[in-house]
Order: sequence, then structure tokens, then C-alpha cells
Amino acid sequence: MGKEELRNELLKDLSDAVVDMDEDKAKETSQRVLDEGLNAYDAIMNGLAAGMVIVGELYDKHEYFVPELLMCADALYAGLDLLKPHIKPEDLGESAKGQVVIGTVQGDVHDIGKNIIKMMFEVAGFTVHDLGRDVPLEKFVEEQMRTDSDIVALSAMMTTTMMGMKKVVQMIKEKNPDVAIMLGGAPVTKDVTDLFGADGYAESAGNAVQEAIKMISRLREIQK
Amino acid sequence: MDAMTSKERVEKLFKKEPIDVMPVFSGQGMVTIQAIEKMGIRFAQIHTSAEYMARSAMTTAEIFGFDAVIVPYDMCTVPEALGRGASLYENADGILYPTVPSKWKTLDEVELDSEFMSKGRMPVVDDAIRILKSSSDGKFAVGSWVLGPFTMAGQLLELDVLLKGLKKEKEKVEGFLSTMTDLVIEVAKHYQGLGVDYMNIREMGSGTDIISPRMWKMLVLDNLQKVFSALRSPKILHICGSTDMIIEMMNDCGADALSVDQKNNVGESRRKLGDDVLLLGNFDPYGTMAKMDASEVESVIKKCIDDGVDAVWPGCDLWPELKKENVDAYVRTVREYGKKASPAVGRI
Repeated sequence: MGKEELRNELLKDLSDAVVDMDEDKAKETSQRVLDEGLNAYDAIMNGLAAGMVIVGELYDKHEYFVPELLMCADALYAGLDLLKPHIKPEDLGESAKGQVVIGTVQGDVHDIGKNIIKMMFEVAGFTVHDLGRDVPLEKFVEEQMRTDSDIVALSAMMTTTMMGMKKVVQMIKEKNPDVAIMLGGAPVTKDVTDLFGADGYAESAGNAVQEAIKMISRLREIQK
Repeated sequence: MDAMTSKERVEKLFKKEPIDVMPVFSGQGMVTIQAIEKMGIRFAQIHTSAEYMARSAMTTAEIFGFDAVIVPYDMCTVPEALGRGASLYENADGILYPTVPSKWKTLDEVELDSEFMSKGRMPVVDDAIRILKSSSDGKFAVGSWVLGPFTMAGQLLELDVLLKGLKKEKEKVEGFLSTMTDLVIEVAKHYQGLGVDYMNIREMGSGTDIISPRMWKMLVLDNLQKVFSALRSPKILHICGSTDMIIEMMNDCGADALSVDQKNNVGESRRKLGDDVLLLGNFDPYGTMAKMDASEVESVIKKCIDDGVDAVWPGCDLWPELKKENVDAYVRTVREYGKKASPAVGRI
């Protein structure tokens, strides 16, 4: 089997392992990627993450629901834990030095969506500072300043706790207008994001990372 | 003929007997900032005081002309009594509902205290119901609610552990849900024993945004059937989020009425269920009462009635910080537009 053929086969196996919620297969295939000397970042992005994109589509089509989503995420992490230490810094591009503070706002203890977005940031090579759930609003500001993160990602599952996001956006922008703020969660829309003065909107797990990379690129353009 | 009292109106609605006009009430919390301010207290103070809980419900009903009062307001009373704690946000700006800070992290940690009914704030809710029963003097219907078994499980056990467990540890999770079913029955029967006029079971975490219809049938349906067969009427099943795919199974649970939120296509549900089923819903409480311009409220309420509800219920708790003029428009529209018979309930 040629190297390209082998690569394609293993990428498909990694993607299938995620879609099929098969942690063992994700681990075994990831180990094979390393044993064969293939590129770990390629395997993460075009194998594991590609599988998660299919999972997102299955969720949208009501073929998968939240329990399936969580088990797919477990399979992805099983592979990611093996592959991540072998990523070459030059493969990462814009996200290499990207840091993100993430959390669910005060009054909200729903963190499944936040954890999926966190996983996608990790997949893309960001350093993630996870504040968890039910996070007091000022804690986001403190953590951003402590870590000098490029992005603050806020999640709210309920319309009523979403209002807390507006205060966080104001507090962070007052201290440091260069920080990009991304909002996500069931009640959040593009209109809300604009209204609250945030910079990006995570419509889905896949879109969150693309949006984050775009935000970082824009910020770095401005800072040049 | 004299108009019916609020309590009569609600009671007859659940019996599907003719009433004078559609009642304005809910199976979820209906406390408002207008009542809280009138009482000179803060939202966070209500949760630990039976007197405040009961008075804020009564004051809200009096300000707006509701037909019922309902307690409790938060979803943490049972988890707190079982040792999971409750964050009351006493120092937070604005209104935050209590949350459960320390859920069980594995199924092996689960241990139920058989004395939980006397722990935490459970006695506060009991006293609030007693005060409402004695002080409303038959003027208002007194309602209460308990989370359904699946949702209660998610309030006590980390949600990802529960949801993954549905696939990974199916038997264990089924056992846990069965225990939750007994727990829900115990609490709901206790409130019925205190004399509440209607009981709402809120299985709000089981919509198809979260689990599949297949899983709902396997893990939610039977337990709800057990709950409803143990309770006396009137008893309501409320589920928020996506319910279009499970509305017919909801109707097989044995409740007297079904309540859904704004995600349900009520016109379609009515067609599926027929005119004899009591259907309640389904406006977005935050969007309609807190955000929208008051002039737009009437059309939202009329649409609920035109779609075929028998009473216009908010899809969840009323968010306390609402606009008075919006609630006034809600009540006014129900009183005027709700004079005509609804699909399951005639008019005198």
C-alpha cells in the first residue's frame, strides 16, 4: 500500500471511529498513524475532526442526539490524547499561539455545549483555559488578563442567563478592547452577538473554531 | 349568572366542563418583579421564606388578575434536600434562579436520604402551599409542580454521565430512573396531600433536542405512566423544547392535559391528538413578556388560541423581570379572545 493510500485509509478509520462512537478504534488507529510516521495534525484535523463534522450533520438531521454526540466526543478525545503530543508547531499556523478563555456564565450549569466547543478549540491547537460553569462574570475578565488570551468564549443555555453575557462583553472591552469575544449557546443568535457588542458567534461546534481563527487573523492584522 | 371564581374556572377546565372564559394561569412559576418590588424584598430572599414565596405568588396574581398561584419557583429544592446543595445567588446583580452546585458525578455515588422530605427547603415549600391554601380562601386555584423522573435525574447526576449512561450503562441508568420515578411520585403525592388544586409534572429535559424519540419511548414513557397512574387529577405533563416528534407518546402517559412550549407546532399537535385532549401553551415567556413591544403581545396570544390551545400557558416560568404592560396585554387578550370555546372545553 502506498503512503497516500495508507493515509487515506487511516483518516477514514479515524473519522469512522468518531462517527461510530468507537473509542477503541480511535485509539488503535491513532497509534497506527504514529507507528507509520504519518502527520499527527493531519490525522487530527482530517480524520478525527472530519468525523465530528459528520456527527454535527447527523445531529442536525435528527439521526444523532445529545447522548450520541457525547460518545462521539469521547471517541475523538481517545484519539486526540495520543496524537496531540506529536503535533509539530509549524503545522498549527494562526491557532498555534492562540489562547482562549471559555466558560458558561453565572446562573447556568449547562456545560455540554461549552465542552464540545472547548474540544474543537483543543483539536485546532488552541490553548484553552476552561473556567467551567456557573462562572461569576468578573472571573472572565480576570482570567483573560491573567492569561493574556486572544479570545473569550462565553456560553449560555438559557435566554435568561444570556443577559449576563452583555455585562461580560462590556467589562472586557473596557479593560482591553483588543480581545475578541465569541458567544454561543442555544438562545444566542447573530443579532444578539451584534447587540451585545461581541465579535463572533458560534453557531455550531465546527463554525466556532473557524470563526475563532478568523477573529485572531483580524486582530493580528489590526495589531500589525 | 355570576361569573365563575378563578378556582372554579381552573377546576372545570381540567374536567373539560363548560367555563365562562379561558383562565389565565400556568403550571410553571409566575412570580414577577412588580410583586417583589411591592413587597420591598429581593428575589433571592424568596427561596428561603415560605411567607415570601406565598405572598409573592398571591401579590402577582392580584396585580395581574391571574386565576392561579403556583409554588415552588426553583428546581433545586429536592436536589438540595438530597444533599446536592443549592446556589441561591444572594449577592448577584439582577435575577438568577437557583442552581445545583454539586451533582453526583457517578451512578455509584447515588445515595438517597429517606428523610429528604423534611430536609433543606422542602418544609419551606410545604408551608408556602399551606399559606396559599388558607389565605387564597378559594379565590385562586393553587398549583404546584415537580420535575419528571428523567429531568430530576439530570438535576441530581451530572448530565453527561446520565446521557452517556443511557448507552453505556443502560441497566444502571434504568434502575436510577426507576428510583427517580418513586421519588417524584412521593413528592407530587405529598403536595397533593397538602391540597393543591392541580399538579404539573415538568419533564423538561426530555425533549428531542436532547434525546431521540426512540430513547424517549424506552426510558421516559413508562416512568411517566407510573407517575400519572399514582397521582389524582388534575395532573399535567409539561415538556419544553422540541416535542413535535413525541407529542403522541406524551398523550399516552395518562396526564389530563399536555403543556408544550413555543417550539411545538400546536396546530399540527392538535390535528394529531384530536379535539378532546386538553392542550396548553405555548408562548415564549421571555420573548413575549420581557422583550417584545406590548403592542405585539396580542397577536402572539391570539395565535396560541387560534392554533388550538385550551389555555394560554407560557412555555416555561415567567421571567420575573417582565414588562407590566405586556402581561396586561396577555391577560386582556385571553379574557377577550378566550370567550369562545376552545377545542376541548366549551363555554357556558
